[in-house]
Amino acid sequence: MNRFGLPDLGIGIGLRTTHFGEILAGAPAVDWFEVLSENFMDTGGRPLHVLDRVVERYPVALHGVSLSIGSTDPLDRAYLRKLKALAGRTRARWVSDHLCWTGVLGRNTHDLLPLPYDEATLRHVARRVKQVQDALERPLVLENPSTYLAFARSTMPEWEFLARLCDASGCGLLLDVNNIYVSGFNHGFDPRQYLDAIPADRVVQIHLAGHTNHGTHILDTHDGPAIDAVWDLYARLCARTGPVSTLFEWDASIPPLADVRAEAEKARPLRRAAAATGTHGA
Amino acid sequence: MAPDLALGGLQQWLQAVIVHPGTVDQALAARGAAALVPASRTDRVVLPSARLSAPQRVGVYHGMYLTRMREALESDYPGLARFLGPAAWERLVQSYVEAHPSRSYTLNVLGGHLPDFVRAARVRRPAFCRDLARLEWAVTEVFDAPETPPLTEAALAAVAPGEWERARLVPVAALRLVVLEHDAGAHLDALREGRRRPPVRRRRCRVVVCRRNYAVFRREQTAAAFALLDDLVSGLPVGRALARALERRGARLGADEAFRLFRDWAAMGLFRAVEMERRRDPKPTVGRAPRDGR
Repeated sequence: MNRFGLPDLGIGIGLRTTHFGEILAGAPAVDWFEVLSENFMDTGGRPLHVLDRVVERYPVALHGVSLSIGSTDPLDRAYLRKLKALAGRTRARWVSDHLCWTGVLGRNTHDLLPLPYDEATLRHVARRVKQVQDALERPLVLENPSTYLAFARSTMPEWEFLARLCDASGCGLLLDVNNIYVSGFNHGFDPRQYLDAIPADRVVQIHLAGHTNHGTHILDTHDGPAIDAVWDLYARLCARTGPVSTLFEWDASIPPLADVRAEAEKARPLRRAAAATGTHGA
Repeated sequence: MAPDLALGGLQQWLQAVIVHPGTVDQALAARGAAALVPASRTDRVVLPSARLSAPQRVGVYHGMYLTRMREALESDYPGLARFLGPAAWERLVQSYVEAHPSRSYTLNVLGGHLPDFVRAARVRRPAFCRDLARLEWAVTEVFDAPETPPLTEAALAAVAPGEWERARLVPVAALRLVVLEHDAGAHLDALREGRRRPPVRRRRCRVVVCRRNYAVFRREQTAAAFALLDDLVSGLPVGRALARALERRGARLGADEAFRLFRDWAAMGLFRAVEMERRRDPKPTVGRAPRDGR
């Protein structure tokens, strides 16, 4: 159990437009859904109608891409108000976003851009996390991004930055195992070292996904099944955390819901094994 | 200079590179980025990896920016993208996001300026492109508009016959009235049905874009019907709107025809309420429904 007392929701998938019909028609056996916050903030049409129906039947968590927690621009207070309202409407179990910035000077690139991992950035991000948590009146859960470049000024690895950020701000973690694999390849670190250094009791949720290996670098494309090495990392993480709410992301070339569910369900025996061994918390 | 940029400067530099058109080398050398980090010193800011140089690593982000913008705009403007073809569409997207970059947390509003932008852009048939874009943007707005329950038969029946003169019909939020100079709707129909796109035809079209049961639909109206509907959604009392319809030169409407239109529009769910004009206040009390310019 994480230190926040946030529940293990089981195995979920992302709520995607292409599955709306299947979800409304069949009430599929999915433990929970992750909802992309920005997709539902400014719509009053079918997406919001479907979301309301989903919330009646399933637990949901909100996952954002535009908080821009690392930006040097001021926090967008209007965005935070809408995010809080959506969290209330959906009875979201938690609200997550990414350790990144998306734009500066009032502009949004809509990309999850990397931060330098140094003391000044740590202070900057920790201060903003606290402000966001005050505004949302709940802990913020931050995801490790997949990154394709590293800054020369960084003075610590990402896992140390995250651990220290948790201590400094009180935030939780959404650990994306695929992103750790991707960044490990792109930056040349051992993903197992990353996993072993993460404060296990901060992990509220885990992401899994597929990626595309270009030989020179890996892109986090969310367009297929996860590779075996990512599942191995997942099992290793579960051994430390115990069963944690797990979500499989599939955002491009999206297959029918049953196929996404089948891929996500691969997590179930690994979670079970972790629960049985009871080594978590180590 | 500048490997020791503060966080803000570092972010300004990376953003300037990412959003710059052309190749990543051109972006690194462009004035905005190079003023913060000279291109020759990129590797003092970004570390190379075992397989990629520092500029190549920046290039991964640079390459993804325009793709993301193109995909977002294409989801709102599939008809325009198809009409222009991949190369011209890519050029339009690039010039558009330079002029109107996203400043919102959502990509849903990125395309809001495209109809006016494309009219002045270097594309073939720009006037038609503008009409097509206006129609597609109206569809997008209606799709996302708040849901407001349409007027019920009971609410209509509750209005005494003598009260209709000063009654105002309040439009639902998911309603747009669009006047076009080309038959852009035929292109969207062809796209939806998987047919070859028809030739561009210049014809004035008056289109209602609305939503019922969360499905967006379009209906073309006659000049007389559209004029009456326009008056009604603008907040004119029914009596005054009808009087104008009966007197309108060139697009006059008979009383029977007006009655049939009311029935059709109610069935389409264009109105959400009936409000009574206050007798001593001739000014409209109901906000105008958004209407795309004519």
